[in-house]
Amino acid sequence: MVLGYALLSHAKRVPNPSYNPADTSPTAAPRTVPNVALPDAAGFRDGLRRVFMPRDVFVEVPQPDGSVVREARKSFFGSWYWTDNVATWGRLFAGLSMGIAAGVVIGMLMGCYTPIEAMLRLPVDFLAKIPPTAMLAVFFVTVGTERELFWAMISFGILPTLIQSVYLGARKDVPQELIDKARTLGASQPDIVGSVILRQTLPVIIESARLCVGPAMVYLIAAEWLVASEGFGYRLRLQGRLNDMSVVYLYLVVLGAAGYAIDVALREVVRRACPWWGK
Amino acid sequence: MQVAGVLQAGQGGQGAVGDVPQGTDVVLRVDGVSQSFGSKRVLHDVNFAIARGQIAALVGPSGSGKSTLLRAILGTHPAMTGSVEMDGKRVVAPSQDCGIVYQRYTLFPFLTALENVAMGPWLHSTNLLERTVLRPFFGNARKRILEEARALLGQVGLAKAADQYPSEMSGGMCQRVAIAQALIMKPKLLLLDEPFGALDEAMREELQEMVLELYAQNLAAKGRGERAPYTIMIVTHELNEAIYVSDRVLGLSQYWRWEEESHAAPPGATIVYDNIAPVFAPGEAFDPMQFRAQRATIRRVVMESEPRFPRHEHVRFWGQVRAGEAQGVLGR
Repeated sequence: MVLGYALLSHAKRVPNPSYNPADTSPTAAPRTVPNVALPDAAGFRDGLRRVFMPRDVFVEVPQPDGSVVREARKSFFGSWYWTDNVATWGRLFAGLSMGIAAGVVIGMLMGCYTPIEAMLRLPVDFLAKIPPTAMLAVFFVTVGTERELFWAMISFGILPTLIQSVYLGARKDVPQELIDKARTLGASQPDIVGSVILRQTLPVIIESARLCVGPAMVYLIAAEWLVASEGFGYRLRLQGRLNDMSVVYLYLVVLGAAGYAIDVALREVVRRACPWWGK
Repeated sequence: MQVAGVLQAGQGGQGAVGDVPQGTDVVLRVDGVSQSFGSKRVLHDVNFAIARGQIAALVGPSGSGKSTLLRAILGTHPAMTGSVEMDGKRVVAPSQDCGIVYQRYTLFPFLTALENVAMGPWLHSTNLLERTVLRPFFGNARKRILEEARALLGQVGLAKAADQYPSEMSGGMCQRVAIAQALIMKPKLLLLDEPFGALDEAMREELQEMVLELYAQNLAAKGRGERAPYTIMIVTHELNEAIYVSDRVLGLSQYWRWEEESHAAPPGATIVYDNIAPVFAPGEAFDPMQFRAQRATIRRVVMESEPRFPRHEHVRFWGQVRAGEAQGVLGR
């Protein structure tokens, strides 16, 4: 991919309007310059420098007279890279945690208790058909435009699908014979839910959560694109409008790498927590 | 339960329950059980009693309601009419009194063989909170239960497979673990629902031997004047197996002469055959040909779709016991 990009970037170089064939000095402008959409290595170096460049952070400095003065200091913790990562992954982790916790609880209740299934199945099926991004206006007026908006986007976005996966896993993946057998071994209803159904559907739950990470990132980036003042979505929108593709591509690489790392980590969780799964 | 006097029969009058001799220690009593699903009548006035220590085989043609009867005994689908009593207690839901081993879905796939066997005592001695949040405080109890499970696993010849998951074991190994899992709870009755149906011949013979071992332990207990520890009801399609591993064969069939009892339509399956079976010791050589006559009778009475006999004509087990023809735990 890197080689392909390098070749493409080189092939798509555009004529330099400042090029002067008569000027043969060492500082003369080159005949072609990189296409703005496909920056070259120098462009990426410049992008990296700006992404990691220490920027102002405010620190409170105690004064000899006992007062406190806020001072701006250059720090890595003020760089785009740090602030955007902290903002985006914090929002994603919080939103995913809420969505997964709610999805697992509601899905398990629906899968294990028929009256709850009868009550919630239709609303869940209905909500699953509404794109979460279309709900943005509703979230604006109900939870505002602060961090709660991102949490709501992610958790409500993944919730219906996750509920359906967990509910179907609890309902279909555990044969009635195993439940009857557990009863003959002295299991109560909470035992059956917690020690049989939940344990048997645990890999399905983790797999479902893993598959939710992609959509959750889509919802988050969309929300950040619209209302955030930091985060990956905000930076991509801002730098995209400036045609600063070196930063855009770097952020896309970070997003892809992080998504892949989460995927691998959750697969490893399944492998370790459910060693019987897939054997 | 020591039966004081002759038990009352179900509505059929001459059913097996009514013939139980005085003083028989009855574990399972099925009395006048009928079951329908919508307009489909599945079971009609099923009556029989099983004494402690017996291994009774239940055979019947497809669609005769063997599984329905088993569910009524297990308590997952209690009888609509009549009653099922386990040690004198009416069965209304599955309980630890009755263990079950199915042909499929025999084990919890997320537990090792050892944990599967230990599952029952672990569930019995702790609640969900103690098994999860407070688990570190129950280390000693868990250790003791696992030791007990390991010993039982050794008894069924699977000590070396303790740490294997069901998906890593053969069908026969899974069934052995499933039997150990049920036996560790010391159920009053163990139901085996076609447990060896999916196994190859060699594995099937091994497990038949294992069942005979359990029966041998019953006989040894009887010899010592103790209660027999294992009472088993095995459902099977294989007539040779039914006769070989059990001391009694029950036949459930919908093909009987119901017109003679003034029914306008087929009323469902009932017990049409109940006779003693020869008792074998584990490892004792047998020739399937020696079962030929009994097999032919069962086929004629139970399996053939052309009804030829009234339902009580071949229900003779308790009469045979009284006549001293029975061997094994009910023999003299």
